[in-house]
Amino acid sequence: MKPRITYQPGDSLLHRLHPLAKGGWMLFGTLLVFAVHSPWVVLAVLGLVMVAFPLSRSPLGRVRGTRLFATTALLLGALQVLFVHRGPALVRMGPLVVTAGGVEAGIYVAARFLCVVLLSYLFVLTTDPNDLAYGLMRAGLPYRYGFALITALRLVPVFEQEGQIVYRAQLARGVRYDTRSPHRFLTLGRQFFLPLLVSALGKVDSLAVSMEGRCFGKYPTRTFLREVHCTNRDVAAAALLVLGVAALAAVLIVI
Amino acid sequence: MISIQGLSFRFGASPRYALRNVNLEIAASEFVVITGPSGCGKSTLALAIGGYLFRQYDGETAGTVTVAGMDVRGVPIYDIAEVVGLVQQNPEDQFCTLTVQDEVAFGLENRCLPPDEIRQRMAWALEVVGASHLVGRALATLSGGEKQKVAIAAVMAARPQVLIFDEPTSNLDPTATAEIFRVISHIRARAGLTVLVIEHKVEVLRQFAPRLVALDGGRVVYDGPMSAGERVSESANRQVSESANQDSEQATHYGTRLTEHAPRNTPHASRATNHGSRTTHPPTPPAVRVDDLHVGYDDVPILHGVSLEVGEGEFVALMGDNGTGKTTFLHSLLGFLKPGRGRIEVLGHDMHRVSTSRLVRQVGFVFQNPDHQLFADGVWQEATLAARNFDTLDEATQARARDLLARCGLGDRQQDHPYRLSYGEKRRLNLVSVLVHDPRLILLDEILIGQDAGNAAMLLDLLCEQVRQGGTVIMVNHHPDVTSRYASRLVFFNDGKIIVDAPTADAFRQLAHLGLQAYLPNDHATRITNHVS
Repeated sequence: MKPRITYQPGDSLLHRLHPLAKGGWMLFGTLLVFAVHSPWVVLAVLGLVMVAFPLSRSPLGRVRGTRLFATTALLLGALQVLFVHRGPALVRMGPLVVTAGGVEAGIYVAARFLCVVLLSYLFVLTTDPNDLAYGLMRAGLPYRYGFALITALRLVPVFEQEGQIVYRAQLARGVRYDTRSPHRFLTLGRQFFLPLLVSALGKVDSLAVSMEGRCFGKYPTRTFLREVHCTNRDVAAAALLVLGVAALAAVLIVI
Repeated sequence: MISIQGLSFRFGASPRYALRNVNLEIAASEFVVITGPSGCGKSTLALAIGGYLFRQYDGETAGTVTVAGMDVRGVPIYDIAEVVGLVQQNPEDQFCTLTVQDEVAFGLENRCLPPDEIRQRMAWALEVVGASHLVGRALATLSGGEKQKVAIAAVMAARPQVLIFDEPTSNLDPTATAEIFRVISHIRARAGLTVLVIEHKVEVLRQFAPRLVALDGGRVVYDGPMSAGERVSESANRQVSESANQDSEQATHYGTRLTEHAPRNTPHASRATNHGSRTTHPPTPPAVRVDDLHVGYDDVPILHGVSLEVGEGEFVALMGDNGTGKTTFLHSLLGFLKPGRGRIEVLGHDMHRVSTSRLVRQVGFVFQNPDHQLFADGVWQEATLAARNFDTLDEATQARARDLLARCGLGDRQQDHPYRLSYGEKRRLNLVSVLVHDPRLILLDEILIGQDAGNAAMLLDLLCEQVRQGGTVIMVNHHPDVTSRYASRLVFFNDGKIIVDAPTADAFRQLAHLGLQAYLPNDHATRITNHVS
C-alpha cells in the first residue's frame, strides 16, 4: 500500500524554508492560477511545481491519491474540450466538435486543478506540521489555538486507525454496508460513529487531565524551548513573495 | 503527605458510589500499590488525589483529601500539579505534542520557565527514566514502553513530590512492563518521591515490598504490607471483607482453573515440533494454515515469511513484544490485510478465493478495545447482532445467547445500553457477542488488558468450554501465567517472525534458553532458575 500524504523528512531547500514563508508562496501560487485568466501562466506555474517535486526529493509518484487526482484532472479537461465550443473548430466527427477555445479551456481547467492539488501536496510533503504550528505561535498566534492545531494533527491518524478497527469489527460481526434503505444506512452510520465518539470523549478526558496537570492555560503566555529559525534565505523568500503579490495586484488593477 | 478522610464520591446520575468512605494516610516517600477488581474505584481515587475528580467531573462528594497541606477540593489544579504528578494508563492519550522534547518541555513551558532551565530539567527527567537516547524522536515512532517512559519523564520534569501511576503497564508487553517497573523503582530511589502505583499485576511489584491497598466496590478492603515472601491473596485474606475474599479466590484460580482443561488440548499440542515454525500435519484439516506469509503497512514490512498450522480444537497463545506482528497476523487471517506474498487457508477456505463476509460466519474476532466493538442499543441486541446479520437467530441461538449472558452476569442487564456497563462487563459482552453464533475459530487480540483476575477467569472459562466442544482459539496475550495454564501451545513472535512454536511447557523452556525471562510464568521462572543453579 502506498504511503499516506504526510510530511516526508528531508533536507532540500523547500524542507529548510520557514513554514510561514513556504505557506505564503503556496497561497500565492494558488491565488495566481485563479486570478490570472491565462492558460500559459497556469501551465508555467504547473511546470514550476512539477520541477519542485524532484528538486525537493518528494516522492509524488509513491504517494496515495496521485492517480485519482490525475484522472480527475483529465476528466475535467476532457469535459471542457467536449462541451466548450469557442473559436475555430479543430475536429469534427459527427456530433463531436472540438474547438480551439475548448482545448484551451480544457488545458486551463485541468492545469489549474493540478496546480492547486500539487501545491498543497508539495507543502504537506515538505513541511513538518509541528514546525508550522510552532512557527504560527511564534508569529503571534495565541498558543491555545496553536495547540488545538497540534492536537488535531496528532489525533487525525489515531482516529483514522480507530475508524478502520471499528469497520473491521463490524465486518467481523456480519455488518454489511451494501444497503439501499436510507433508514438502515443511518443506523449503520450511527453504529459506526458511536464507538468513535465514545473513544474521542475518553481521549478528551485524558487529554484534559494531562494538560491541566501540566499547567496548560495557567498564564496568558508561555515560553518556548523550540526555535523555529528565520534565516536570510527565509527573509529573501518573504521579500520576493511581497514583490510577487504587489506585481500581481498591479497587473490585476491595470487589466 | 496525603490524607484522605471519609471520602465518598458518586458520578453524575449514577446510583452507585465509585468511592465509599475511603480513609488513607500516606507518608512522604512511601511506596503504595493500589489494587482491586476492574471498576473498584482505583482510578477515581487517583483522580481525587490529583484534584481532577472535583474539577472535571460532576458528582456528589463527601469527605476531604489533603495533599501536602492543601485541601485539593479548594485549590486550582495548577497548584496541586506542583505537588502531584499523574501518569495515566495510556501514554498516547496524554501526549499533548508530537516529539519527545516538546512533550517533556510542555509542562515547563506552560509554567513560563526560561529555556535554559527547561533544557536542564528535561535532560534530568529523561536521564532518570532512562530515555535520554530518545531525544529527537517523533512520539509516533516510539514503542509502547518508550512512550510510557516519555510520559513519565514529562510528569517528572515538573519535579512533583507525589507521583501516581494509573496502570502504567496495562498496554505493555512483559519486557516493557519489567522495564517500566524498574524505572519506577529507580525514580523512587533516586528522587525520594511518594509513589502510588495502581496496578493489577501486583505480584511483579512484590520485590519492592510496597504497602498494599486493595479496593473493592469503592471501599478499602485491605491496607497493609505486601511482604516479599507471601502471596497477595494470602496477605489480603487476613483482613478483607467477604467480597475481597471472593476476589482473592478468583485471583488464585486465575492461574489454576484450566489445569482440568489442559489435557484436552495437549494431544493437538503434542503434534507441534519443538524448534521450528511448522507443525506436522494433523489428521483432520487444520483450522488455520499459513504458508510463507509476508504482510506490511505503508511499504513497511511487518510479517516476514510466517508459516503456521493450527489444528481444530487447539488453544494457541500468540506472544511477543508489542509491534512484532501478532495483531497483523490475526487481521491477515480474516482478510483485513492483504498479504504481499504467501498463502492463507482458514477452515479449509483459501483466503484468495473467499470473502471476509462469508468467512466471518464461522470465525469470531474480539478486538483489543471493548468500546470499538459495541454497536447496538441494548445488551441483548448487541449479543445477538451477528446472529441477526447472519439470519441465524432461531430459538436455539436465542437460548444460547440468554444462557451465555446469564453465565457472564449480564442476564439482568439485557435492556441496558452496552455503554452503561463496566469495563469488565463490556469485555464479557464482547466475547458473548462472538460466541452466540458458535464460531469454529475464535481470534482474540489482547482481551485481558485492564482485566482483574475474576473477569479474566470468566472469559477464559468460556473459551475453554468452546475448545472442549471442538472450537479453536488463537489468543494474543501478554500473560505468561495465563498462557501456561490455559493454552495448549505457544507461538512466539519476534520482529515479524515466529521464533518459538511448541507445546506451552516446551515453549517456555525455549524462551528461557533465549533469555526471555519476562515471558516466563512465575512458577516456571522459579523452577528454571532452581534447575540452572
